[in-house]
Parts: sequence; C-alpha cells; structure tokens
Amino acid sequence: MSSSHCELLLVTINHENVSLEERELYTLADEQVASLYEMLHESPIIGESLVLNTCNRFELYFTTTDAEDGLSMIFETLSGFYEIPREEVVSHAKNRSGQEAIKHLIEVSAGLRSQITGEAEIFGQVKEAYSRCQRLGYAGALINRMVQKGFQAAKLIRHSTPIGQGQINISNVAVDLSLKIFGSLDRAAALIIGTGDISGKTAKALRSRGAKEFGVASHSHDRADTAAHDWGGSPKEIADLDSYLNEYDIVISSTIVEEPLLTKESLSKLHPKRKNRPLFLIDLGMPRNLDPNCDELDNVYLYNLDDLAKIAEDNLGERRNAVQTSQDIADQKSVAIWQMLEKRGLVNSR
Amino acid sequence: MSLLGLEDRQWIFLATVVFTVTTVLGSYSALKLHRKTGRPYTLALVSFGWVLQTLGLYARGLQYGGCPLSNRFELVQFLVWSAIALYIFVGPAFRLSLLGMFTSGFASLFSILSLSLSSWDTANRTPIFGDSPWIEMHAALALFSYGVFGTLALTSFMYLLQSRSLKQKKMGGLFPFMPSIIDLTQINFRLLVLGFCILTSSLAIGSVYFTRDLESANYSLKLIATVGVWFGYGVLLILRLRQTLNYKQYSWACIIVFAIALLSLDAVDRAANKEVDVAAPANASSTRL
Repeated sequence: MSSSHCELLLVTINHENVSLEERELYTLADEQVASLYEMLHESPIIGESLVLNTCNRFELYFTTTDAEDGLSMIFETLSGFYEIPREEVVSHAKNRSGQEAIKHLIEVSAGLRSQITGEAEIFGQVKEAYSRCQRLGYAGALINRMVQKGFQAAKLIRHSTPIGQGQINISNVAVDLSLKIFGSLDRAAALIIGTGDISGKTAKALRSRGAKEFGVASHSHDRADTAAHDWGGSPKEIADLDSYLNEYDIVISSTIVEEPLLTKESLSKLHPKRKNRPLFLIDLGMPRNLDPNCDELDNVYLYNLDDLAKIAEDNLGERRNAVQTSQDIADQKSVAIWQMLEKRGLVNSR
Repeated sequence: MSLLGLEDRQWIFLATVVFTVTTVLGSYSALKLHRKTGRPYTLALVSFGWVLQTLGLYARGLQYGGCPLSNRFELVQFLVWSAIALYIFVGPAFRLSLLGMFTSGFASLFSILSLSLSSWDTANRTPIFGDSPWIEMHAALALFSYGVFGTLALTSFMYLLQSRSLKQKKMGGLFPFMPSIIDLTQINFRLLVLGFCILTSSLAIGSVYFTRDLESANYSLKLIATVGVWFGYGVLLILRLRQTLNYKQYSWACIIVFAIALLSLDAVDRAANKEVDVAAPANASSTRL
C-alpha cells in the first residue's frame, strides 16, 4: 500500500452511543479476535488494523487507501462476522478519522471515555489489544507510532490531572482510609462483622491491598464458619465481641442489629488495653451497627455508609472536573501526533 | 565576611529564597494541581538551599575561627541548618511524604524571622560558647539536637493535621499526600530517641568541661534552661515508652516542649551575652576577629 494514499479511520461501538443490549451483539471472545483480523485483511484496501474489545466497547482502528470503500468494506465484514444486518451495524457505529481517531484513542486509554470516569483498567485493556495486534502482525509503522505516542499522552493525562485520583467505590474508599491510618495493611488485622455481600467485597478489597489477618463474625457460628472459609480468616461469634475486639485494628460491620454492637462506653473499657493502637471502625450497616459516639474516643476513627459514599461522590466530582483539562491535553497531543505522522509520510497530508 | 563574592548574610538570604520556593512549589502542587512534587525534586531543591546556607555559615565561621554561634541569628540559623541536614541525610530513610515541604517551610519561616530582626544579629561579638573546641562541640551537638526536635515538632504537627482530617472526615487539602498516622507516630518516636541521645551527649561533654573549669558554669540561667529542656524531653520519652500519653497529647507535648526549647535558646543567648559583657574587658585582647 502506498503511504501517500493512506487514511486512518476508526469505527467504534460503545456505551456512549448504544445500549447494553446492542453492545451484547458485538461480544467477541479472545479466541475470535484472530478470525476477525483475518477476515478484515482479506480485503486489499485495508492496511493496518487494531481491534479493541472490552465489555463496554468494540473499536476498530484501521488504515485504508480509500476512506469510503474502506468503511463500506468494514461494515460489510462486521455484518458478516456478527451476523447482524449491515444497516444495523452502520446505525450502531460512530466513525472518526485522522486526528480525531487519535484523540479518541488517547481519551479511551486515559479513562476519559469509560463508564466510570478515570478508571485505570482500560489502559491495561488497550495495551493488551495492541500487544495481540502486534503478535498477529497487523500493526505497522502507523499503528505502532500512533499507539505508542497515544500511550504517552494518556500517561501524561493520568499523571498531570486528578482524572484517576481518589477511589469511587465504597469498599475501595474504606481501604484507602485504612492505608491513611495504618500505612501498610499487612500490619493491620481486620474483623468483618456480618456475612453479607458488602462485607465480602470489603474483605476482598482489603486482602488485595495487603491485609493478611482476618476474623469473620456473625450471629450464627455456622454462617461465620462458612464465610471465614470462603473469604479466609477465623470465625467468631458476635456475642463474644468484647473478648476478641482488641485483637483487631479494622472493624467492618454490616449486620442486622437492634442495639449498637459497640458504644463509646463499651469501647472505653477495652481501649486502655490497646495501648494507643488506632481502631478504624467502618459501619456499613443499616440501621447503624456502631454508636456514632465511638468516634469521640482518641485513636478511634468511625466512618459510616454515608461518610464513605460522600467521599466516593467527592472523588468522582474531582474526576469529572478534570475531564475538560484532560480533553484539552488529548486534543493538543493528538494534533502533535497527527503532524508527526504526516511529516513521516505515513498518512495523507491535508 | 565575604566568601566567593557574596557576604555571609547574602548566602543565607539566597538559601532562604530557595527554601521558600520549595515550600511554595510543594504547596501549590499539592493544593492546586492535586499532585505531589516528586521526592527527588524536593530533595534536590532543599539540598541546594542547604549548600547555600552552609556557605553562609562557613563565611561566618571564618570570622570567628570556629562554629558561628555568637548571637540569636546564628543560633537560629544553625538550628535550621541541622533540621535540613537531618532531612537530607536521614529523611530518605523515613520515606515520609511531604516531610521535605514541611521542613523547607520550617526553614524558611525561621530564616525569614532571623533575617528580618536585625537586633538578633549583633556584630563583632565573640562566640558565646567560648573558644574551647569541646565546648563548641557541646554547643553544636545541643543545637543539632534542637534541629532534630524541630523536625519532631513538624512531624507531630503533621500527625495532628492528619488525625484531625480523619476525625472530621475532611479529605481535601494535603490529606491525600500525607503519610499514615502510624508511620508518623513511629517516626516521632525515633526522632525523640535520636534528639534525646544527641542532647544527652552534648550535656555530658558540657558537664566534663564545666567540672574542669567550674567558674565557666556560672551562667545559671543557661544551665537551668538547657537541663530543663533535656529533662522535658526525658519525661516525654518516659511517658511515650509507658504509653501514658495518647498520640494526640504526645504530639501537642512535642510541639510545646520545642517552643520552650526555642525560648531556652533566648535564655542561653542572654546569659552568654551577660557573661561576655562582664568578661569583655579581660578578654578584649584575645578576641578573635
């Protein structure tokens, strides 16, 4: 293919323009990606290509000698591959070309176009897609330069703006706060009171960030035993809470109670034996499991569901505020990358 | 005295500018840009300021042929120099986020204060600790321990800030970049032990000198102030070891005892000043300039 007649195009089907039901039509298993590449490259007018396939988006970056024919051929191929009428594919897809396609790649890689603004997982997914594309031999000079420079721009956005800062789900907010108290979670023991879904998620989040020692307490010994087996940890009964509470540094409570499990008075009795060790109480129960007055004790930090939700909300707000700045950086960088590609004769000069 | 074309105060002024710039950059980066200035940049800037300050103090030292500890300005500068030296040489082992920014803030605050109050920098004085190398060693160690206690006051302040943010659930400002409260309490303990050991060594050296030359120990105010500070930190250490104080009380105590220690420097300066005035006629012929 002559580089003097090369166009860069993007076809994207994502959560921004189609519903979940419609996105499901484009589900692509990892092992099917190679077949799709093969079908696409049967046509001589397709030069290089990159397929990005995640749960929220199907994207195809490709180069072609003729934009109109190339696009038409791509829709034809996708229609055949997914067995969806061509008109439907066309209606689901959004197209971009040239510098706009590069800007889109940067924004996607930086998490600006993710459903949860600023999430970091997408960067790994784009990297994985690029790596597969290279392995299969469909990345050439243009895709290679575009993606590598695009990654640099995405990293710049993530490092120079708050787009990815602060946790935005309650379990991770709780873990971040634990880190602000204990520094490293491998030296903090966690007690999970209640065996519900949110307790499990928080235990999982704590474990993923280094927590090793767990206790799982329930009203019923059998439930505690089962959850302790599933999540890892030692089973405890809530009735004996006072006898083992001092062994733990983080307490996550989300059970059904009629009276608070811990009050300022009950903690005051146990507190001297802690010898100034901080106690982080996370009350995820409704009604609240822990007396709000517990917080009045020194070295005791109590957060309830509303507190954590507010922090998550504030963090999300910070990320949203950073979107405009991030888009400006993506715009500037995409222009620079496009000019570099033009200079090297990899794309048509405008 | 001039060194490499600049007067001692000019070198110290430049160092103060560098410390202030480091503080402003660190604060702006954290509070406005929501990102932390990298530790290597902060360390490089603070080290640069420290080198400038060292040149200034060296130029002063040449004037006396010994440690420049002849007035309040020099005492404060030496204390700041010690705190910065501690940050540069021991700080990286602490791995405490924002310590560089806080230390440079501390340095610029005290440096600006000492530069602005011209009465603190009275000229043509003899070193207030006499001319014995042992007593200079005693004084230098004592002031270095004050530098350590200054850093301890800073990390205590950081603990109080972080603990307050956690209690009041205020997650903005410096909170995301501050170290954990457990890290801060551990560093506070190490700094207290380090400072106390250095001050004890200083007093031990001083006491040997005083017993050799009992007449020199007659600045009772200085002696009481210095031993008082040593006693204060000793009590604090015992209370910390016995866990009698909670971390909040302990942090406040570290800040208060440091404030008292600073006031004791004033007592040292006054006592020595009085002593020098009394001894001036006799020493006039041996004054080194």
